[in-house]
Amino acid sequence: MKFTQLLAESAGAMLANPLRTLLTMLGIIIGIASVVLMLAVGDGIKAFIDKQLAVLGSNLVLVQADMRKSAGARLRTGTVQTLTLDDAEAVNRLPSVVGAAPMLTMFSQISVGNDNSNTQVQGTTPASFRIRNLRMAKGSPITEVDVASVARVAVLGKKTAEQLFYKADPIGQTIRIDNQSFQVTGVLDNEGQSFDAGDIGEIVIVPISTARVSLIRTASPRSVQYVVAQSKSAESVNDMVVDIKELLRDRHRIRADDEDDFRVVNFGEFAKSGAAIATGLSVALGFIGAISLVVGGIGIMNIMLVSVTERTREIGIRMAIGARPSDVLWQFLIEAVAICVVSGLIGIALSAALAAAVSSSGKFELVVGVKAILIATLFSGAVGVFFGFYPARRASKLQPVECLRYE
Amino acid sequence: MTTALVELRDVRKSYFSNRIETPVLHGINLAMQRGEFVAIMGQSGSGKSTLMNVLGCLDTPTSGSYSLAGEDVGSLSRAALAGLRNRTIGFVFQSFNLLKRMSILDNVALPLIYAGVNRKQARERAQHQLARVGLGELARRQPNQLSGGQQQRVAIARALVADPPLILADEPTGNLDTRTSADIMAVLTELNRDRGQSIILVTHEPDIAAFARRLVRLKDGLVLYDGPAREGLRELAQEEAVNLAGSLSTATTEEQA
Repeated sequence: MKFTQLLAESAGAMLANPLRTLLTMLGIIIGIASVVLMLAVGDGIKAFIDKQLAVLGSNLVLVQADMRKSAGARLRTGTVQTLTLDDAEAVNRLPSVVGAAPMLTMFSQISVGNDNSNTQVQGTTPASFRIRNLRMAKGSPITEVDVASVARVAVLGKKTAEQLFYKADPIGQTIRIDNQSFQVTGVLDNEGQSFDAGDIGEIVIVPISTARVSLIRTASPRSVQYVVAQSKSAESVNDMVVDIKELLRDRHRIRADDEDDFRVVNFGEFAKSGAAIATGLSVALGFIGAISLVVGGIGIMNIMLVSVTERTREIGIRMAIGARPSDVLWQFLIEAVAICVVSGLIGIALSAALAAAVSSSGKFELVVGVKAILIATLFSGAVGVFFGFYPARRASKLQPVECLRYE
Repeated sequence: MTTALVELRDVRKSYFSNRIETPVLHGINLAMQRGEFVAIMGQSGSGKSTLMNVLGCLDTPTSGSYSLAGEDVGSLSRAALAGLRNRTIGFVFQSFNLLKRMSILDNVALPLIYAGVNRKQARERAQHQLARVGLGELARRQPNQLSGGQQQRVAIARALVADPPLILADEPTGNLDTRTSADIMAVLTELNRDRGQSIILVTHEPDIAAFARRLVRLKDGLVLYDGPAREGLRELAQEEAVNLAGSLSTATTEEQA
């Protein structure tokens, strides 16, 4: 019997009882959709993390001033500024550090004429632009001269520039930060998330010296909130972290059994935990998918057994007019596989629709790849073969005489 | 070499249930040449259906030999038996046995499909065969849209489509009214007369058996009569008359007593 004939017969059998066929298919549909989503979520999270890391700048760690533990009493974070400009310079001189920049940040009221917005102002040094991968859309970044001369200059994030100046050129214009005038020297090109989860398009960057003098009151004249440091390569980040910790403990005269008075945040670690979450999610979805496929497969086996019984007479007729046992076997096997593959395709369509819905929210990109589709299709076919074989074999073993007697 | 189309030698068939043997055929000897039209008669329990199943290669004898179109049926595997049925036998059943979900055309084409003929060619030949039984117009219909007589014609078309040397008709008129029965028998008789089609007809009705030229009567798993249909049926009628008279006289005696 030809394959096309078998397919036509399978289609006929499936359509003979559409509701039952659909219900039978549900388990496989859900299973395959889970498997496809699992693959898409895994890929999506990985792509998301890579993108985020690229936005942050590569191989960065953030050294954060923490509370000083004095005689066991913990003070609130930030009340005592333990990091200083000198610490930043010392970190910068470490051989494992390519560049380091101190930072002070605050939220301030920015205004131009009657327009105003409240956003994050970052006081930092020119090194910051390089290591954080900040690019200029227009004008120039903060310079060493600006820092040295405590210049009242500012670089605007893209969105802030648009919000304050619309289409007009902001370069050379004056803005007010906390009611003090600053001249705009440049506009950033970057988009996306900053390391403190703010939007990099909304920040305003000023020289760190100016920030201290005009905008933020610090505990001591040289203290800073953060130091951003970059290592040579992804592999050497951990070495750099060790070096920085050693250096700062030494500089802060922390005894061997006391805790650090600073924190080092390694963005690579975020990536790792993100990847771990992705793997966990994938495993969970994969598990649901696998269970659903097994349950669905058993459902298919059950329905195929019912179908064989119901169609005993048909089998007898077919055998009488010349169907060999193998013809009957193939007929029922192909039918089971067809049910599974159609379910698989519906499952893929369902997961693609879900992925599109998630992607359209704009927060997260979920793509159902060709690889996932191929795997899912093959898998559903395999389920059909596995669970369809026993009923099909049973049908092929029936005796024509008994089948013809069956009412 | 000219061999008989059908040759049964001392064919015995027993059924086993819980190891208890129930013999049904007690040694049947029967030979049939090509072109013959044989009716097999017998009351229920005579082994008629079992003989039919053996003749149709749907069941194999417990002992004895059966050769069909020169092939020794006893030595064949299930797959080979299926192939033999496909090539040499066209079945016509009492309950038509058409497949419900398929069109008339596909039903008729099915034996060719199992013979490995491609779909297009099989359908062409099926259409041709349907036209010969006068149902060419109804090819696209489903079986349940046809009358009983039409369904049986479709079954005959299906039996003929692969050109088998033997037609095996098992009570072909059992589910039909008298007029339609006569129609169906006319079709079979014509096939035998005009095309030399060999036919075995299993029936319990003497009127239907009368269409055949040769009669085989079974009783208790043995051949009771094998000869020309006319004489056989006359003998049968006499026996029945005697039986009737016997039971009537018994009844009268009982009444008088």
